[in-house]
Amino acid sequence: MTISIWRYSHLALAVSSFILLTLASVTGVILAFKPIQEKINPYRSDQFEALYLSDVIPQLRSQYPGITKLSIDANQFVQMKGTDQEGENMLVFVDPKTGNLLGKPEAPSEFFEWVTALHRSLFLHETGRFFIGLTSFLLLLITISGTVLIIQRQRGVRRFLTRIVRENFAQYYHVVLGRLSLIPIFLLALTGTYLSLARFELIDTAYILPDVDYDAIQDGPPRDATSFDIFKNTPLSEIQSVDFPFSEDVEDYYTLQLKDRALHVNQVTGEILSEVKYPVSVVLTEWSVDLHTGRTNAFWAILLALASGNILFFIYSGFAITLKRRSGRIKNNFTAEESNFIILTGSENGSTFRFAQEIYKQLLQQGKKVYACELNDFQEFPKATHIIVMTATYGLGNPPTNAAQFAIKLAARPQVRQIHYSVVGFGSHAYPDFCKFAFEVDNLLSRQDWATPLVEIHTINDKSPQEFGQWASVWAQHAGVTLDLSTDLGQDQHTCPHNFTVTEKTVLTVPLDAFRLRLRPEGPYSYASGDLLAIYPGNDHRERLYSIGKVAGEIQLSIKLHPGGLGSEYLYGLQVGDRIHGRIDANPHFHFPEKARQVVMVSNGTGIAPFLGMIDEEAGDRERYLYCGFRDQASFSLYESSIREHLNTGNLASFRLARSREGSRQYVKDLLAQDQELIVEVLKNNGVIMLCGSLAMQQDVVELLDGLCTTILGKTVSYYQSHGQILMDCY
Amino acid sequence: MKASLIKTAWLLLAFILVTPTVMQAQKAPTSKYKCMIQMTNYLGEGAYIVISLINPKGAYEKTLYVLGPDKEWYNSLKEWHKFQAKKPTNISAITGASVTGGDRAVNVLEIESSKINSGYSLRFESAVEDKKYHMKDLEVPLTTEGLAAKSEGAGYIRYVRFSPN
Ligand SMILES: Cc1cc2nc3c(=O)[nH]c(=O)nc-3n(C[C@H](O)[C@H](O)[C@H](O)COP(=O)(O)OP(=O)(O)OC[C@H]3O[C@@H](n4cnc5c(N)ncnc54)[C@H](O)[C@@H]3O)c2cc1C
Repeated sequence: MTISIWRYSHLALAVSSFILLTLASVTGVILAFKPIQEKINPYRSDQFEALYLSDVIPQLRSQYPGITKLSIDANQFVQMKGTDQEGENMLVFVDPKTGNLLGKPEAPSEFFEWVTALHRSLFLHETGRFFIGLTSFLLLLITISGTVLIIQRQRGVRRFLTRIVRENFAQYYHVVLGRLSLIPIFLLALTGTYLSLARFELIDTAYILPDVDYDAIQDGPPRDATSFDIFKNTPLSEIQSVDFPFSEDVEDYYTLQLKDRALHVNQVTGEILSEVKYPVSVVLTEWSVDLHTGRTNAFWAILLALASGNILFFIYSGFAITLKRRSGRIKNNFTAEESNFIILTGSENGSTFRFAQEIYKQLLQQGKKVYACELNDFQEFPKATHIIVMTATYGLGNPPTNAAQFAIKLAARPQVRQIHYSVVGFGSHAYPDFCKFAFEVDNLLSRQDWATPLVEIHTINDKSPQEFGQWASVWAQHAGVTLDLSTDLGQDQHTCPHNFTVTEKTVLTVPLDAFRLRLRPEGPYSYASGDLLAIYPGNDHRERLYSIGKVAGEIQLSIKLHPGGLGSEYLYGLQVGDRIHGRIDANPHFHFPEKARQVVMVSNGTGIAPFLGMIDEEAGDRERYLYCGFRDQASFSLYESSIREHLNTGNLASFRLARSREGSRQYVKDLLAQDQELIVEVLKNNGVIMLCGSLAMQQDVVELLDGLCTTILGKTVSYYQSHGQILMDCY
Repeated sequence: MKASLIKTAWLLLAFILVTPTVMQAQKAPTSKYKCMIQMTNYLGEGAYIVISLINPKGAYEKTLYVLGPDKEWYNSLKEWHKFQAKKPTNISAITGASVTGGDRAVNVLEIESSKINSGYSLRFESAVEDKKYHMKDLEVPLTTEGLAAKSEGAGYIRYVRFSPN
């Protein structure tokens, strides 16, 4: 299975680091509680932010003459080191404002020390540190590749934060949480990597405080330490530590370590003896520790704990996604050369594979020779009679990675015999380019001499079992196989909950032509023109579908009589007053578009059925154009009067008729070619073109539209198909 | 028999009461020194430093201070670690934080006064994680002059100074 380089890297990085990453995350979650626990201690002075060194240092030195060092930790607790009155070592927290002793620092918790050692070095010292450093670097790369994957999935940087389409639990939360915890995890990985590099001296964090020139030290004029400029101007909050002079001797001095520099200060005059600014790398190290540990901010520490916990979830969900994706792979029993049924799949995340697998299994069970592969593996199939393409669309209407080569391969490998094809597109209306790539494949195939459509392209929104079931039953009918759709992928309704009474039936004037049938629903069924009536004339699995036109509150069908045809003969045999059972299947993708101002309706033969219902509704301020193809005037006569009436009332803006066996022997596509300005205008103004009738007509018209779209509008026809501006319902 | 029992009881009581005084009396007089260790600007983790009292024969006699809290690393101070392993003493009261490059540490050492000017010396032994170990980063003769001078180190220690506390 070819997958994109980003996804491959994301997975490969995750696989190579997940054990150590798990360890680092678990210990990381625990360690996040260290600063939180520390900050609970009441050692921080309320005045801390307001104090300057001049308020603190002279006072503490006179109060505690033995003081040698003052250090301020990440919790802004002030720690004083020195000797007490008895001359014993003293280490205490002090209130910098009052000089009151607040408490003794506890011995570092052995538990946290142990976890820290594990987190940093796995108890393996240098070797462990190296592997942990490497793990953080890998995490950094995982975060970057993950970000790119989200951008690809969301179709662009600007849509990074838009809604995520839910495919399954693992996938959905992997992406949702990935987006949420992206920044903390990125910072954890970045700072972890930085600290490792600094630890291994690959980043130079050295700085040297210049030596003091003892000869130049002035012992006057003496000033009071409270009036030293450097003390007056340095807030306590900028201090990391202060080393007090070792003795009263003027050669002993104060050493101040600030956040960004260090300096020596003459204890008599307050003069700065030497000063050094830390290199950027040192400041970055401090920041990195702050960000990596959350030691300065309890909220950040909590966030880090959550982010580390998320990493554990990512490890779980990432593997769940991968396993799911892999489970969709098919091991073929037959070769490409010997198989009659070929299933080609294009899938980015594997869910489409499961549909393909189900069809594969069932065909195999029926003793068919089936071969399944990715669209990229398109090759010569010398014995193929049927090709099924099941494909998703990725990114901005792009092919999934394992289908990206399909167009080239298709052009390079013409088939030796006629093959019936059927394209099933998987997608979600949440994305603007719904099933665009599937439309492209369908259009590409329709241009191949060796390819004949068996049924028209079917699109499946959000893995709808109904829609998949609809495709499967229509395809099975035409391919002459039976498919059991009572699986979790498909949905086999096979029920006849609706009852109808025949109110009208026309009698054929010409043999083998079409007739009109009116049915009165026996209940308040809700349906619209464009929906389908499913019937089971043999009282078995054999289903026949007919397009519904809702005319004067009744269902009007237009049916072509096939001699010996199961469905058409049955319907023709009905008499006015007869009752029939069936089911109304909603077919929303072929409902009359609510929003479009201009709608062009194109049909041939019985394809006029849904349009007769649509024009029966008030046009309002919409312009509706009807183009119909019939064999001859006689075939058209069945509908002529109602169309004339709608033209007269203005309900229909225009009507054009093509007769294929009479007069100028035109097809409906010829009329469209003549009126191409209108067609282009409609598409340009977000209008809609609807096609209903035979697949051959659909093929011709789509080819014509493709030419118009690419040359005049600069977009492929699949763009308009995927954006719902070209609707099709052909059979 | 009875008399001897009473005698024993008296003796025991006397022993219990007297012992602390005796123990007190046994403790030799000591002197306290503030000891400042100034580190060089080396790169790396905090240094572990142990300050030991060395007898005139050049052998360890007593541990005076340990800079470095984590027992895990004590074995890197090889020679001292052998001594500490042979004669384990409780050092928790004389243990403090390790010191990093460029930093300075000031601690109080308690030294038996009789050991001063009697051929003893103070040894500063240092180690840094995954770096060189210095058995004698610095050794200062335990004399009045030695304690007054500024002594230069050979390893991670730049110099050491003392001042009577
Ligand atoms: C979405 C959809 C909507 C449909 N809407 C309509 C409609 O409005 N009006 C309508 O008349 N039909 C419509 N059909 C077609 C209809 O469902 C049946 O396929 C058709 O009526 C033939 O079925 P049958 O049982 O009469 O013939 P079958 O018993 O299936 O076949 C009998 C003979 O007819 C041939 N035959 C079967 N189907 C076709 C075909 N499509 N073209 C040419 N020859 C064929 C067979 O090869 C066979 O020789 C629609 C189909 C679909 C999928």
